[in-house]
Amino acid sequence: MSAVNSAAPATHGVQVVRFFARFARAQRWEHWLLFLSFTVLFLTGIVQKYRTESWSQNILSTPQRLVWVQSIHHVAAIVLIVEVIIHLAHGFYLLARRKMPHAMFPEWQDVKDAGSMTKYLLFLAKRRPKYGKYSFEEKLTYWFLFFSIGIMVITGFVIWFPIQITTVLPGSVVPAAKLTHSTEAIVAGVFVLIWHLYHVLIERLNLSMFTGRMNENDMRKYHATEYERLTGESADTPDQGGQA
Amino acid sequence: MRRLPWIFSILIVLGAVLLIVPGAIAAPQPIGLATVPDRAPQPQQPQPIGNDTCLACHSNQSLEKKLLNGDTLSLYVNPDDHANSVHGQAGLTCVQCHTNFDQQHVQDPAKSPGFEANDRRDVSLKLVPLCASCHADQAAKANDSVHSRALQKGNVNAAICTDCHGWHTVRRLTDPATKKLTQDSRVWVPQTCAKCHSTIYAQYKDSVHGAALVSGNPDVPTCIDCHGVHNIGDPTTAAFRLKSPELCSKCHADPTIMDKYKISTQVLNTYVADFHGTTVTLFEKQSPDAQTNKPVCFDCHGVHDIARVDDPQKGLDLKANILKRCQVCHPTATTNFSDAWLSHYIPSPDKYPVVYYVNLFYSVFIPGVLIPMAILVVLDVSSVVRRKLRKQKGQPKPPAPPAAGASASGKESSHD
Repeated sequence: MSAVNSAAPATHGVQVVRFFARFARAQRWEHWLLFLSFTVLFLTGIVQKYRTESWSQNILSTPQRLVWVQSIHHVAAIVLIVEVIIHLAHGFYLLARRKMPHAMFPEWQDVKDAGSMTKYLLFLAKRRPKYGKYSFEEKLTYWFLFFSIGIMVITGFVIWFPIQITTVLPGSVVPAAKLTHSTEAIVAGVFVLIWHLYHVLIERLNLSMFTGRMNENDMRKYHATEYERLTGESADTPDQGGQA
Repeated sequence: MRRLPWIFSILIVLGAVLLIVPGAIAAPQPIGLATVPDRAPQPQQPQPIGNDTCLACHSNQSLEKKLLNGDTLSLYVNPDDHANSVHGQAGLTCVQCHTNFDQQHVQDPAKSPGFEANDRRDVSLKLVPLCASCHADQAAKANDSVHSRALQKGNVNAAICTDCHGWHTVRRLTDPATKKLTQDSRVWVPQTCAKCHSTIYAQYKDSVHGAALVSGNPDVPTCIDCHGVHNIGDPTTAAFRLKSPELCSKCHADPTIMDKYKISTQVLNTYVADFHGTTVTLFEKQSPDAQTNKPVCFDCHGVHDIARVDDPQKGLDLKANILKRCQVCHPTATTNFSDAWLSHYIPSPDKYPVVYYVNLFYSVFIPGVLIPMAILVVLDVSSVVRRKLRKQKGQPKPPAPPAAGASASGKESSHD
């Protein structure tokens, strides 16, 4: 890998760009499932949550339409649950084979990274912290949504099947689940819109979850530790030093 | 243009003929189809027939008449009935309502009977349109009512003015000063409806509203407060059902009435905020004729037999009673299920603590998560912008050879 030097300008303006594998095909498929089901759930969910608002009432104007929106929500919920099961099953499979990658798990370094990133953003530090394969921002995204979706699935089942649930649990779990479901949905939705979409679309266009790979420059800048681990080179090349 | 006066003269002659000839032919006939009387008494009628003239015969208790179907109709009028009625006190005379009767009738009642009717009900139906000549507003409303529609469909027993108000004994129902129903009238309303709707009355009179009405309570509703006065609608429609929470909340969301009885005025809010109420409110606005089995107030609290919630037998404070209502639509529901409905309570540490603490958690959690997150994003944006500006200042003119590697080839579109 280190044999190719993208930084050296070629004589006729030809530039070789190295790419690094980032997400496996199965992971990208999982993301598609998550993306589609999450979007449908969010859209059909907020329509139901804001039933007292006129924009929602124009959509849910008849009993038939309400049933439609609820049915679409339920179908998307099943897709999401299938995705959750695939994800967890794959996780347990890796765990059982002792192949679970460590890079996704939160560690103390992430807290330190968050601190140094804040310092960098406040101009208290000159350098952007060096991240591994997954930055603290990406881990936060994953784990925040991991638990959000967990809460949504559990509370969603409670309000989907209140009669069965209340044969075991007290009745007040139903309104509690309803409140949690509709509030957590907003938290998760706003989180994705502000945090996730900002980082993958606006801060920089990071489509590695769709293409599966990341170019060298982005690897250097945003995953410096990982770049150094993979290439054995320093992530700070002379011509890139200034921009970090 | 010249011919116009000629046409006019012909018209005038024709008009005169039309006026005089029928007058000459029809003069002896009773004025059965005659004009509608004016609102005010008309003392300057050519030959006013006083009440005494009528009562000379009609105060005779044995005065009666055979109707076309053979039934007998008593023609007796108790002089006091009219004298004490609101019309009598206002000085109205018999012939102002009974416009079909004139001197011909006085001279020879058998020959000029005023009008003929098939049966007793037919008598009322023939006389009742006269009410509209003074009470046009009320009559117009009544024409739009469920009773009027039933009548038009051929149910001759459907209520008409006189069935509720009486005829010679018509009473004043409102207080002249306030224009509101007197308490006596309010008590009288359900008794009046009961003449036909006796089963419903039996339920109402023992309900929390009905029982309080009889004991003099001025706040409880009578039939007409929910069903309307003259334009009584059909209460079996989907529209009435969807609108009913609004109806109940006219009083139940009004603290000036409810505070006296220490009844919560949050009943509508809390209903609208919960599963069923939200949906009912939505349909009421968007498709008011939609059929829905989502419960409205009266599905749980009763229609006419509304009981206090702490009623020892029927009260909804008893879990068993509320569960019974749930099971109408959720037949497999078990005891715990009824607690899924917040029973109009606003969650607090005492009532529905789980819901209360979930709410409390999120009121801390949401700002606790979203605010730092938003701050980081804003910082990130400002940092990128400021570092770019700083860079441009540091390099006022871009050097001739472009910084290699910093910019993209065709494959990379985004890099700053």
